[in-house]
Amino acid sequence: LLGIENTEMGPFPRAFPSWATIPGYFWLAGGRRWHFFFAWVFVLNGLVYFFYSLAKGHLGKLFLRPRDWIKIPAMALYYLGLRRASPQQEEYNPLQKLAYSGVLFILVPLIVLSGLAMSPQMDAGFHWLPAMFGGRQSARTLHFVGTWLFALFTFGHVFMVVATGVVNNMRSMITGWYVEKHTPAAETVGTKVVVDEIAAAAEPVREASPAVAEAEPHIEAPGRETPEEKRAEEKNDAE
Amino acid sequence: MTQNKSFLSRRRVLAGALQGAGLLWLAGCDGLFNGLQQNQKVLSLLESVEGANRRLLRFLAGRNALAQEFEEKDISRYFKSNGNPPPMALEYLSGAASNWADWKLGIAGLVEQNEGFSLPAIRAMPARTQITRHDCVEGWSAIAKWKGVPLHEVIRRVRPRAEAQYVVFHCWDTDSEGNAYYESIDFHDALHPQTILAYEMNDRPLPVAHGAPLRLRVETQLGYKMAKYIQRLEFVARVNQIGQGRGGYWADQGYEWYAGI
Repeated sequence: LLGIENTEMGPFPRAFPSWATIPGYFWLAGGRRWHFFFAWVFVLNGLVYFFYSLAKGHLGKLFLRPRDWIKIPAMALYYLGLRRASPQQEEYNPLQKLAYSGVLFILVPLIVLSGLAMSPQMDAGFHWLPAMFGGRQSARTLHFVGTWLFALFTFGHVFMVVATGVVNNMRSMITGWYVEKHTPAAETVGTKVVVDEIAAAAEPVREASPAVAEAEPHIEAPGRETPEEKRAEEKNDAE
Repeated sequence: MTQNKSFLSRRRVLAGALQGAGLLWLAGCDGLFNGLQQNQKVLSLLESVEGANRRLLRFLAGRNALAQEFEEKDISRYFKSNGNPPPMALEYLSGAASNWADWKLGIAGLVEQNEGFSLPAIRAMPARTQITRHDCVEGWSAIAKWKGVPLHEVIRRVRPRAEAQYVVFHCWDTDSEGNAYYESIDFHDALHPQTILAYEMNDRPLPVAHGAPLRLRVETQLGYKMAKYIQRLEFVARVNQIGQGRGGYWADQGYEWYAGI
């Protein structure tokens, strides 16, 4: 019991406060309508993302491989501010891979399957579906917990997008362009060289190669790209 | 001194938190969603996925896939009796008092044979016993043993005309405003082997709380489809002339007519 709704008939106890529910007033039927509509959006969007990323080779960059596990502590230290230089070597660092792989390959399937396990029609066709969760009521619990974990991930994801430069990140999600601020070690404070990383987009290595770092600082305008480059950039989608 | 090279500066964290809070505030605009909920176009867009759910789930599950049947030991000790309080109509009360001796299941609509069936006649038809899980839209589920006549046995005897598309269940019970409970299913579910008109629950005559003398069991849908206190069956081509026209008491309140999920 986390909220009270003021109705015409006086205060009404609610499991969740009005601001957290759609619709805001207590109406299970209406809530179900929103739920199933966005369940379709969620699943169709997820399928498009999955297969497009798979075809473009993007999924491979997100996938947490056994060799990434060992790199997690160093990355975590950097995030916690206990380590100065970023140990990141690839486009996605091991913690990003952990988060994205966990959500993509474990959490989302769990949410979808536990949701379907609550359907009497699905359960008639697939008796193993509720059984794999230990019954319909455990599926219901896991569906609920999974939703919170997904909300937590979304919050963290949006926070990081905003905190690490919302304009740059949004641009890279949509166009594949990511402008990286690069500070050579011997440089005086305040002088920043903007290096366009797109030149290196064909390679999965995110860090500026010495060749790029030494080159004249330049910013490429999006208008100058050839279709060939455009395709290469899309692969670099940083979402 | 070298400059602060830590991955997130304080300023950035603060900015991120503020902007994140802004997004949360947007999500909290329940006035906006309440307004959208009242909008007819938005509502019909939201409702449009009901048909997609029905087609997809039925396709995935297969036509006559049987709901899981459980064992005696799985039967729930407590089975919530939901919905309207037991009917108070005089006819119903006298029927209950006389053990349904004069009661008949009415048959109406697009059928060749509209003679009703007495309880002994229904009990004399082939019976099916199943221990199944009842899933309520509220979230809970309960397991019970049901015995009754498969609806297809009744349908075979009444011989519906070709135009008939739905079986409507008219019930004795009413809500506090006097609206009668009714439900409807299409022949896809009506002919399902586990769709029965139950007259026994857990080896005893169906108790009044659970819909005596006869209730519907549709094991592929949620509990609110399983009409209790059935008076008569009506075979129709369309459901728009009954109740508020959406095919069921709860569908009239905004719930899905197809409750397979």
